[in-house]
Amino acid sequence: MDDDYDLDNAVVIERTFDAPVELIWQMWTDPAHFAGWYGPPGASIPVANMDVRVGGTRLVCMVVETPNGTMRMWFTGEYREVVTNKRLVYTDSMSDEHGNVVSPSEMGMPDGHLTTTEVIVELAEIDGRTTMVMTHVGIPAGSPGAMGWTMAFDKLAAHLVTHTA
Amino acid sequence: MSATVDDDRLDETFAALANSTRRAILSRLVQGEANVNELAEPFDLTLPAISKHLKVLEHAGLIVRGRHAQYRPCSLDATRLREVSTWAEQYRPVWEARFDRMDDYIMQLQPPRKTGKRNG
Repeated sequence: MDDDYDLDNAVVIERTFDAPVELIWQMWTDPAHFAGWYGPPGASIPVANMDVRVGGTRLVCMVVETPNGTMRMWFTGEYREVVTNKRLVYTDSMSDEHGNVVSPSEMGMPDGHLTTTEVIVELAEIDGRTTMVMTHVGIPAGSPGAMGWTMAFDKLAAHLVTHTA
Repeated sequence: MSATVDDDRLDETFAALANSTRRAILSRLVQGEANVNELAEPFDLTLPAISKHLKVLEHAGLIVRGRHAQYRPCSLDATRLREVSTWAEQYRPVWEARFDRMDDYIMQLQPPRKTGKRNG
């Protein structure tokens, strides 16, 4: 892997759930369970195709009701590491309904936005409870660390497109 | 709560940024301060319309304006923008909300169990 992570530019969240590790693993890998929590409140996940094995692809459709009508968004990616009940790594990009990655500029955003991000889920069961560490990292599209103004605005725009409620 | 950025403030900042004219104004101010006339120039907008945008930006803490009544140059206040410009801070609340939902969903699937074993 020649991915160059910028860990300063990552979200790391740790949570403990009162559930066995098998169930938390299913939250990420079983389409029915994934649809039960993913997305903002009010969102639905009508499609979640998950070929959970290294090199397998994923395709997720998220439908969000906004004041401006129904927004239908597609996301695709590839599983990079699959260690059942322990560790899951997959990439995530915006796409069309066929899983073709859509570049940010095609989505009406200026160049410089991160096209692909990576989600890392690490699980450990302790005393019947499961600790989950989720790391969401950006994979820099261009020059690493180029956190210029333009880029900041692009990211804001992307955030607003994705999460305007 | 150890969040470094208060959610309400984030909402306000994002709301102010959710407009292409206002983002263009901020981009212009990156180059240096400017007054209303200068800022209005590239846009097909009236001065009052531009002033309205400036008020939103000022209220959101994204710009500061000079005190002189006639010539009130605007300049960028980068502090707030920096808070929201890191990729991580934008996505953290999104993930936190998702995991809240995951928690609720798990509760529906399996009623909370008696938590007896806890021996410090």
